[in-house]
Amino acid sequence: MLEIKNLTKVYDDGTVALRNVSFTVEDGEFLVIIGLSGSGKSTLLRCINRLIEPTEGQIVWDGMDITTADPAQLRQIRRQIGMIFQQFNLVKRSTVLTNVLSGRLGYVNPWISLLHRFPPEDMEMALRALERVGISDQAHKRADELSGGQQQRVGIARALMQQPRIILADEPVASLDPVLAHSILGHLEQLNQEEGITILCSLHYLDLVQRYATRVIGLRDGQIVYRGTREDIRRMADEEFKEIYGEEAVRVSVGPHEGGE
Amino acid sequence: MATRTTQREVQPSLVSAPVAGVASLLLPGLGQVLVRQWQRGLVLLGSIVTIVGLMAWRVHDLAHREPGPLAMLIKALQRRPFFIVPMLVGVLILWLWNAWDGYRQAQPERRGGAGIFALVIVLLFTLGWQIGEIDLYKLATELPDAWRPLSRVLWPWPAAVERETETIGAGADILVPCEDNPPPPPEEIPGQPYLVATPTCGELSSLDENNQIVPGTILTLTGRGFAPNTETQIWWVDPLGNEFVVRQGGEYVVFETDDQGAFELDLIMPYRLIPPSAAGRQTHRVEARQVSAVGKLKIGDPLVISISRMVETIFLGMMATFFGILFSIPVSFLAARNLMSSSRFTIAIYYLTRTILNIVRSIEPLIWAIIAVVVVGLGPFAGIIALTVHSIAALGKLYSEAIESIDPGPIEAVQATGATRLQTIMYAVVPQMIPPFVSFSIYRWDINVRMSTVIGLVGGGGIGFVLIQYIKLLNYQAAGIAVWFIAITVAILDYVSAEIRQRFV
Ligand SMILES: Nc1ncnc2c1ncn2[C@@H]1O[C@H](COP(=O)(O)OP(=O)(O)O)[C@@H](O)[C@H]1O
Ligand SMILES: [Mg+2]
Repeated sequence: MLEIKNLTKVYDDGTVALRNVSFTVEDGEFLVIIGLSGSGKSTLLRCINRLIEPTEGQIVWDGMDITTADPAQLRQIRRQIGMIFQQFNLVKRSTVLTNVLSGRLGYVNPWISLLHRFPPEDMEMALRALERVGISDQAHKRADELSGGQQQRVGIARALMQQPRIILADEPVASLDPVLAHSILGHLEQLNQEEGITILCSLHYLDLVQRYATRVIGLRDGQIVYRGTREDIRRMADEEFKEIYGEEAVRVSVGPHEGGE
Repeated sequence: MATRTTQREVQPSLVSAPVAGVASLLLPGLGQVLVRQWQRGLVLLGSIVTIVGLMAWRVHDLAHREPGPLAMLIKALQRRPFFIVPMLVGVLILWLWNAWDGYRQAQPERRGGAGIFALVIVLLFTLGWQIGEIDLYKLATELPDAWRPLSRVLWPWPAAVERETETIGAGADILVPCEDNPPPPPEEIPGQPYLVATPTCGELSSLDENNQIVPGTILTLTGRGFAPNTETQIWWVDPLGNEFVVRQGGEYVVFETDDQGAFELDLIMPYRLIPPSAAGRQTHRVEARQVSAVGKLKIGDPLVISISRMVETIFLGMMATFFGILFSIPVSFLAARNLMSSSRFTIAIYYLTRTILNIVRSIEPLIWAIIAVVVVGLGPFAGIIALTVHSIAALGKLYSEAIESIDPGPIEAVQATGATRLQTIMYAVVPQMIPPFVSFSIYRWDINVRMSTVIGLVGGGGIGFVLIQYIKLLNYQAAGIAVWFIAITVAILDYVSAEIRQRFV
């Protein structure tokens, strides 16, 4: 169970990105965070693994306070939390395999890993992860030779290498077309349902939210303005969505077999 | 007056048109200023002052010995009529045109085009032509004379190999001045070349009070036993041991032996200035020498020197690049904005570093070499220092820009996996840094080798050092070999560096 308590983030320039945000995520949830651009979604997700230092508040995971963890503890925590990014954030000039293996860095001997050496079982694991996301034939290509959808799969494979209990996904499909969006979110849903990995994911499109979320929170100006269950979301009309979301909200339809009911 | 309404509101002229014209005639641009065209007026005034000033300077240069300005002008006119006359006419037209322009600007329409400024530009270029001492006639007439040395530079390869040579010859002693019993002719050894001079004594040529040559005794030289049909030179050896080829009537005494290897010729004893300490009875010697190309081909000195200096040059460039890279890496961190923006103090360091880099970079390596030569003396080390200093500045800037353009995304992603700081650098930073790093370093090596070929011109070692010496000695073939080596090396380097960079980027 992940508890976010009174989380506040004020950036150095005085921007208040999060204001007293509190919510709880049960294990196995697929929690979707919605909100306008600039509402604080990225900040919230990065506070959870402390890529961004929270200003105030607590993040407690299974009774352990992430916010006060020392660097060694923090690395222990981070390696159990996978992360996926809108821009994929692969090392473009490294091979797909190296990118995937880098997901293992929190587990291996740090000094040996500097020589780019990994135990054989990690190599095997990497190939399996690539197989799982369907791009095992691309393992030795440079990451930037892959298409956007393929790169995001590499991102997922990298997260899988961490054997994570939580995956944070910051707008994982915002740079992809709708069909690819479903394919990527499908992978996440599969991990969520088959392995019980908790997913925290920010999304933009109502269709996708309705299709994948088990629970939704809505952010606006760094504050939670909406909390909804799966049923609330299914029943939600465009107008309501727009109200939380602002005028920018877009509903996309991506074919009858995947989109909505 | 036409009462056309203009779109723009034009402020009325302060003076009438004729007044404006006269004002401009008295002081260029004044009329225009008075009609509120002050920009036009000031530009005209500035142009005319500049042109007249430059003109006066050139006239002074051409005739600075003359007493007054008028005398100077006349003298300059005599020396460079094709420059002075058009300039005088041009300035006169410009002045009058400026007055007319002032008159016209006072009209409500304010017409008056850019023609006057075209004239200003033409006059400036005429001055530029003269100041630059551009002389196409000289270029055309002297180019053919330059052809011989140039052709030696373009095709210097005959000097790349030499033959080992062997000189054979024979000589006869000449006593100066003549005495009662002159020395006997040398003994003839069978099978060896033999030279007799008659008489065996005499007077050298000398100079009279009017610096006119008074010819010396005429010697008849008879030689036999030399190589037949071979070029032979007559040498004179004075009592001090100085040797020189004898000239007769301005030409070296060089001839061919006949079929039997014999010759006979008359020689006026040459002029020799002997120091007073050696005055009195002197024994000179006349020799006939033949150079027979008998030896094997061997590599010539210029080639050996050029090769060794080229190697020195390449290594000079390499060492400078190495040290440049070594020192520029830490410097580049200080000059990278994204690393240095955390506090006021670091930002101050950032600006300081940037400023120093820019200053150092703007000073040419050649200047640095001159400074380095002052410090460590002539030689390759001075060149290494100069190029290193410049490389640090140039690479520091390039590297810091590479650091600034690093994508933070992968760093974040690797950090999120629980990686240590070192792992993050290794997996997310280094791969991003390698391509620009390699590319800039190779590029710099390329530049440094190129620069090290010229840095020798000011004493910084390398091939430039011998090149400038060969040129000063008028040894154009040797200089040509050096130039060829520079060209070949630079071309190869260009190709190699382009290839390597392509691989890495
Ligand atoms: N590094 C930063 N420094 C200052 N302000 C920031 C920084 N990152 C984000 N912000 C501001 O914080 C707010 C929330 O940003 P973000 O979390 O990126 O929102 P979202 O991901 O929902 O678009 C925005 O107003 C943004 O401008
Ligand atoms: Mg965001």
